[in-house]
Amino acid sequence: MKTAVKQEMMLEEAENVSLCSMFAGEDIFGIDTAQIREVLGKRDLERVPMAPAFVAGVVPYRGDVLTTVSFRALLGLPESAEAGCVLVLEDDDVRERFGLVVDSVGGVVTVNSRMLEVNPCTLESRCKWLFDGAYKMPSGLMVRLDPQKLRPTRLAESGMFRQGSSGDAA
Amino acid sequence: MDDLTKEFITESQEGLDRMERCLTELEARPQDSAQLVGEIFRAVHTIKGTTGFLGFSRLEKLAHAGEYLLGSLREGRLAVTEELVSGLLRLLDGLRAIVQLIEDTGNEGEQGSADDKALIAELAALNEEEPPTAGGAHLAPIVVPTDPAAVEPGAGSPSVAVAVQSAVGSNDKTLRIDVDVLNRMMNLVGELVLTRNQMLQSGVEATNFPELARRLDSVTADLRETVMQARMQPVGNLFGKFPRMVRDLARTCGREVRIEFFGQETGLDKSLLEAIKDPLTHAVRNSVDHGIEPPAERLRAGKSSEGCVTLKAFHQGGSVVIEVSDDGGGIATEKVRAKAVERGLVPADTAAAMSEREVLQLIFLPGFSTAAAVTTVSGRGVGMDVVRANIEKVNGSVELDSKVGVGTTLRLRVPLTLAIVPALVVRSGRQSFALPQTTLVELVYIPTRDAAKVIERVGAAEVYRLRDRLLPMVWLDRLLGLNNATDHHGFYMAVLEAEGCRYGLVVDDLLAPEEIVVKPLSTVLREIGLFSGATVLGNGTLALILDIAATAARAGVKPVAEEDEDQVVEVHQTDEESFLVFEDKARERTALPLEIVERIESVPLSQVEYANGRPLLQYRGELLPLRDDGRVLDEVELAGGNLDDVAATILICGEAGSKTGQRMGVVVRRVLDVSEGSLIQDDGAAGGGELALVKDRLTTIFRGFEQKPDWKEVA
Repeated sequence: MKTAVKQEMMLEEAENVSLCSMFAGEDIFGIDTAQIREVLGKRDLERVPMAPAFVAGVVPYRGDVLTTVSFRALLGLPESAEAGCVLVLEDDDVRERFGLVVDSVGGVVTVNSRMLEVNPCTLESRCKWLFDGAYKMPSGLMVRLDPQKLRPTRLAESGMFRQGSSGDAA
Repeated sequence: MDDLTKEFITESQEGLDRMERCLTELEARPQDSAQLVGEIFRAVHTIKGTTGFLGFSRLEKLAHAGEYLLGSLREGRLAVTEELVSGLLRLLDGLRAIVQLIEDTGNEGEQGSADDKALIAELAALNEEEPPTAGGAHLAPIVVPTDPAAVEPGAGSPSVAVAVQSAVGSNDKTLRIDVDVLNRMMNLVGELVLTRNQMLQSGVEATNFPELARRLDSVTADLRETVMQARMQPVGNLFGKFPRMVRDLARTCGREVRIEFFGQETGLDKSLLEAIKDPLTHAVRNSVDHGIEPPAERLRAGKSSEGCVTLKAFHQGGSVVIEVSDDGGGIATEKVRAKAVERGLVPADTAAAMSEREVLQLIFLPGFSTAAAVTTVSGRGVGMDVVRANIEKVNGSVELDSKVGVGTTLRLRVPLTLAIVPALVVRSGRQSFALPQTTLVELVYIPTRDAAKVIERVGAAEVYRLRDRLLPMVWLDRLLGLNNATDHHGFYMAVLEAEGCRYGLVVDDLLAPEEIVVKPLSTVLREIGLFSGATVLGNGTLALILDIAATAARAGVKPVAEEDEDQVVEVHQTDEESFLVFEDKARERTALPLEIVERIESVPLSQVEYANGRPLLQYRGELLPLRDDGRVLDEVELAGGNLDDVAATILICGEAGSKTGQRMGVVVRRVLDVSEGSLIQDDGAAGGGELALVKDRLTTIFRGFEQKPDWKEVA
């Protein structure tokens, strides 16, 4: 009897996902908490000259030099003095650790996977590539992000975000 | 495996390493044999004692036989012969093999195998008497005739390979750490615990929480640094394996070879040390096998019969360089060229057009390695492609230099992903950058008011006239597209040299020189190609480490065509000295040995003071007597102008090799160059002074510095 209850709970949990909400520009985004290693908060970033535009800079993190991705740059938003909240993301298979810079981080929200809806077909190509659908929250929509796609190497490979690089002029 | 056995294995391996070292030294320094034999005896004795206790009787038997032989040696009943050392080395291999077996499988393998028996018999034969039947070491009643194959040095090659393998294998799992480093780690851990306790007690709301957090941060950072330091191992650990290998190999190939080491203390990350082990072993083997000629041939060529293999390690330009050089026959490029064409690796016409340097590169081609004929004729070629591949795997590079009849040098360059390098931290466009000190030649300060005057232009390119040579200038902020910093009093130019490129890098400001720990950058940032890594500075901020050679390439700086000159220098290196050439008297060139010149200062005349008619300079809290042989001071003063504006160039000289000795200043008209020169031996025309040829021009060598008593009196 007990096991049955447990199984039911597990089933329920599988459908519920806990996401960390974050803000960039005027939208709300969410990343699965399991893929977030740490929220560093506001940090001073050391800029890297000649780097692709999406690289916000580097920051020391646990003995490593962490490359950070500016989410505002990915969305094509202008740089903002407000931005600078760094999240450390890690994927399990490639062992690549990197930072994501957003305006601010909200909190952990539990959502039901049934609330997820795929990207609208009218979305522009850049965002279509970045976004991974949206959750229909009571308060509004929360765009789901896939950390895999935000990896600096993957972004560089995609070739979509190179333009506007500060080094191009030199 | 229980702790006791584990401890025994580590201890035995260390003992055997010590024994190996002593054995190779035994041959080189027979006069110290008493002490060396004593040490070897102790090593074997310890193994024997412990094995009996742990119940490894096979090992005990072998150790016992060895101990008995060593006992005779210690008592002076036997003389140290080549055969004896070979026998003892085989004992070492035998012991090592069993210890390895215990480590791998937990037991010592089959009792009384034929190998052991042969070895024990051999040791007994060396002892020239019947082996005792103590300790259960019961031998076959017949004294086994010594297997000729086991003793004859010529047949030793397979065992050499085994020995090398096992010798190299034993150091993989254990690491030697300086007790100081360990103590520091322990201290830091203690500090960490204290901080944690305080944090737990005070809670997040406490007023001192931010302060505690900062402390925690710094303690952790220190701890991390210390652990990283512990990973840095001196390359000497790796070199230690070679004397034995060289000895055995030289014996096998019928060569006389000596091995020398330099820079054993150079630190390299443990993982990198592992990575270069095999390539280095290969390179040393090549040197002995193919580089050094047979003794007779060496004598014919006018060299001593004993060849020399030199292993040298040092930091250079953000990497660790390990040089394996021999004074052997060198590589005949013609033969390499012919072979490469024959093997179809390059078309004949391409090969003919290749420079010597390029031809040498052919040796690294994969197909080349199988060319057995070339290895016997010209020197190298076995598996060089593998050496290169292995080094390149850790982002290193391999260079080869060879001169027929003079020798060959193989240079392994490995990056120092973790190695600690001295660097100069500079600022440009409000960002910090680190320049590896090894690439730094000198620093020039250019005040803003002088900038327009000293920076000249050739077309659009800006150059600086440094001692009458034009130096291309590269603005770091412009190159990197940084925001130009606001107005400042002046800027600095770092004269850098990397891979033959020499240029002046203009930066806004200099910060402190620091020992930095290089941290790798992510792939995306590595692809920029200008930074070799990043580092955390003392103040906690990050600085990017500039790749000097890549920066030169990006700015379009080409290597200076000085190669011919360098090669000439290389050949005469022994009798040449580096001189700083300057002008003090009107028509003469004078030079000072470079090692005694500490700094070159430009001093306003108003700062030169006089006492007893002699000029003096207050310099960094020290009173420096000034030498002014060419009456430059008078001349400059006569030229007129405000004493604050007119400056004299003064070389600050110190006694070479000691920082405490009396220093002095030499007033010069202008500094010309730094170059190599050779002294002209007993020259009557010089009239007491010494003359030298520096860049083929007659130059007086300034020896006023040696007149120390005179100056002491003045000071």
